[in-house]
Amino acid sequence: MNNLGIRAILYSARKWKKTLLVFCLLLAITTLVLSGLAIADAQEEQAEEVRGTTGASFTVERDISTGGWNGNYSTQEFMSEDMIQQIAAVDGIAGYDATLITLPRIFNDKGEELAHENYSFYNYGSYNSQYHELFLSGRFELVEGTHITDDMTGSIIISRELAEWNGLKVGDTLTGVYYPQNNTPEVDMEIVGIFDVVADKDDQVNMYDDASYYAYSSYVFCSMDAAEGLIKGWGEDGEGISEAYYYVTDAAQLENVIREVQSISSINWNNYKITANDEVYQNISSALSDTGTLITTLIIVITAVSMVLIILILSMSIRSRKRETGILLAVGIAKPAVILQYVLETLLIAVVAFPLAYLSSKQVAGTLGTLFGKAAENVIVTPEHFMLVAIVGGILLVAAVLVSSISTIRLKPKQILAQME
Amino acid sequence: MNLYKRAYLYSIRKKGKTLTLLAFLLVMATLMLTCLSIQSATETANANIKKALLGYFTINAKTLENGIPEDTVSQILDVDGLSGRYTLRSYTYAAYFDADGNGLTINTEGAAQVPEGYENAGRVVANSNSQEDSYFTDGGFEMVEGSPITTETGSQVLIHEKFAQRNGLSVGDTMLLGNVEDKDKTIPVTVAGIFTNTEEQDSIGMAPSYDLYDNIVFTDLSTASFLLYGTEGTTNVQYGDFYVNDPDELERIMTDVQELDGVDWESCTLTRYDNDYQNAKESLEGLQNIVFIAIAVVSVICFLVLALFLTLRLRGRIHETGVYLAMGISKGSVLLQYLLEVILVAAIALVISFGTSTAISHQIGSSLLSQVTSETYETVDLTGESEAVEEEPAEDLGLAEIEVALSAEDYALVWAFGMVLCVASTALAAYPIMKMKPKSILSQMS
Repeated sequence: MNNLGIRAILYSARKWKKTLLVFCLLLAITTLVLSGLAIADAQEEQAEEVRGTTGASFTVERDISTGGWNGNYSTQEFMSEDMIQQIAAVDGIAGYDATLITLPRIFNDKGEELAHENYSFYNYGSYNSQYHELFLSGRFELVEGTHITDDMTGSIIISRELAEWNGLKVGDTLTGVYYPQNNTPEVDMEIVGIFDVVADKDDQVNMYDDASYYAYSSYVFCSMDAAEGLIKGWGEDGEGISEAYYYVTDAAQLENVIREVQSISSINWNNYKITANDEVYQNISSALSDTGTLITTLIIVITAVSMVLIILILSMSIRSRKRETGILLAVGIAKPAVILQYVLETLLIAVVAFPLAYLSSKQVAGTLGTLFGKAAENVIVTPEHFMLVAIVGGILLVAAVLVSSISTIRLKPKQILAQME
Repeated sequence: MNLYKRAYLYSIRKKGKTLTLLAFLLVMATLMLTCLSIQSATETANANIKKALLGYFTINAKTLENGIPEDTVSQILDVDGLSGRYTLRSYTYAAYFDADGNGLTINTEGAAQVPEGYENAGRVVANSNSQEDSYFTDGGFEMVEGSPITTETGSQVLIHEKFAQRNGLSVGDTMLLGNVEDKDKTIPVTVAGIFTNTEEQDSIGMAPSYDLYDNIVFTDLSTASFLLYGTEGTTNVQYGDFYVNDPDELERIMTDVQELDGVDWESCTLTRYDNDYQNAKESLEGLQNIVFIAIAVVSVICFLVLALFLTLRLRGRIHETGVYLAMGISKGSVLLQYLLEVILVAAIALVISFGTSTAISHQIGSSLLSQVTSETYETVDLTGESEAVEEEPAEDLGLAEIEVALSAEDYALVWAFGMVLCVASTALAAYPIMKMKPKSILSQMS
């Protein structure tokens, strides 16, 4: 029987129990490493998600210090809609908002002025009200309908109190007027949402800015076109969008996103300034990266240990075949052929074990997760992981067999056989 | 030859095999121990994240006649789960006089009106730490001279640059704060610092005179307490913000606080502020799950591999078993010999693994520490150029130091599981061999 391929197969088949054991070991260890790699990736993704929830943002505002001053207000140019959209289109920005404040009086569809606590309303013209500071900070909470989004026109969201006092509901139409004496137009707006006031307005932590003189129930948010409509025809000088807020998907990328925004050449950056706000992220970033380091270390330890285990197992299985090796050498089979046979046997097992490990590791993390009531959608074994493990694992196996055969192969057949018990 | 001696001699004679087994068990035990210590370290890291998200609740006792008394504040701080970080605040109005009792001049330009009785009065803001007041954190106020107020007592004030100029006051001067309604009730205070505003007040023309930035005075809590409640020697406050370690416990802590005696909680408003945590909560839990899954996968597969390995090892000794049995040694004592061998090696491996895993944990711990380097971050300059500036020392949030250390319980756990597993898998693997007759075993040999 000269063909070492046949010898390898025959050995594996005859010693099927032993082969099965080595196979199971390989399968288990490969599954471990593959799951480990998938977990490392999932951790990174999850950490990114956590960073995304910290509300890291930057503000673009007109730079008053480089603009003129006419005695009462800055003559610096306002932000244009184009500019705002251009910045919003930069990669890595999750959402944005800008405000255009107007103080309109609002009437219902019968022409009656709405009952409320102030002389007028404090109206934020908004692109995406979900990104408005009052909602992000949790002071207001949308309870009915939808937020204002940048594709809406003629829409408004109001407080629950206001809705209750005036019997208003989502879908009703309101009419706002800002400066009737200056012939600004009446603007019709449909109620698309109703918010609840969570914050304690009674708390005197308050800087007595404009807004603080209005009750929260008198706050309304309308779509930007409606806000612009309210001031149409009135002096364009003092009114416009002076600030816009951009929220990034990954707080760690905030700097890069800002740099990209600054490279938009069509914007005259001399007139605008950018400030970054990522306090929450700064607070948690060190603890978050600690978790990352710990998990990465864990995976490295797992991988290293798996390599050691494979070497140990193979060397043990080869060493127990000393006597067989002696006989094979004694019948005149060349040393390389004997080693090659062992390598072939091992690879034969690996060829079956590796793909099976790919399938089983796809299951294992998810099963364990759900078993303990913890979802694990993020733990995904990718083909790249498999390629990596198959290639490195294959090399490792061959190396392990070679190293463990050295001690046996060095000896003469006679010495080997004499050594046997 | 008794079985102890046999077990010992076998282990000595087959040095290579014994060493392989030792190495194997050592590696497995170290892996498990390292996993467990990493797991407890990630729990600390996770608790740190929760703490750093700064969940807190605010007590608004504005409507109470005497506010929140001093001893109630210390009782609240004793409630389990508070991080120890807190801010107390009081707000009132006071008439301003110089040391001789003559009214000081306030700014009235841009005021919507100057209410009667407030001709020399302005808003008084008291905060545990004036630097943390929203005027300074959000409103663009900045110290120009002197130092901020950081103590609860001391009868100090901070005044606006323009107010100081208008009245010829400077740091170290004394002035009087008087109750607006009862002008005889005054308290002398020292000017500790002068501030200015870097942003314009946008409510000019809308705000009454006392709310104008120029007319605001910051003081300590005990002075405000005197003005508000007429207390002397004790400090009552209107508002308290109390930070908690774990925002998940906010609800429980707020209930506990409302059970304290001495305050009419019905008339107070308690508001929870944990929006940052609520936003991050879900993804944070995901992160925790991943750690859990990692540990679970490692444990299960470790046990599997260990059982398989021991089985493989025993199968290599079929011949030997046959000989023993043929020699008339009872099955029980052969099995016991095998068990003894494994237990002996396992015990040595577990002892050594304590050292190795401690060393590894130590290594991980120090790599975490070295991560904390002085980070720099970019501030975006007006001209669009960026310049790197040294970041101010990060705010001390009182986070726990992450310790990657092996706990005694974990070590005991690994001992127990390791031993049980070694015994069980050896016994299981030996079972089919033991079932056979010596003759059939020996005739089966290759």
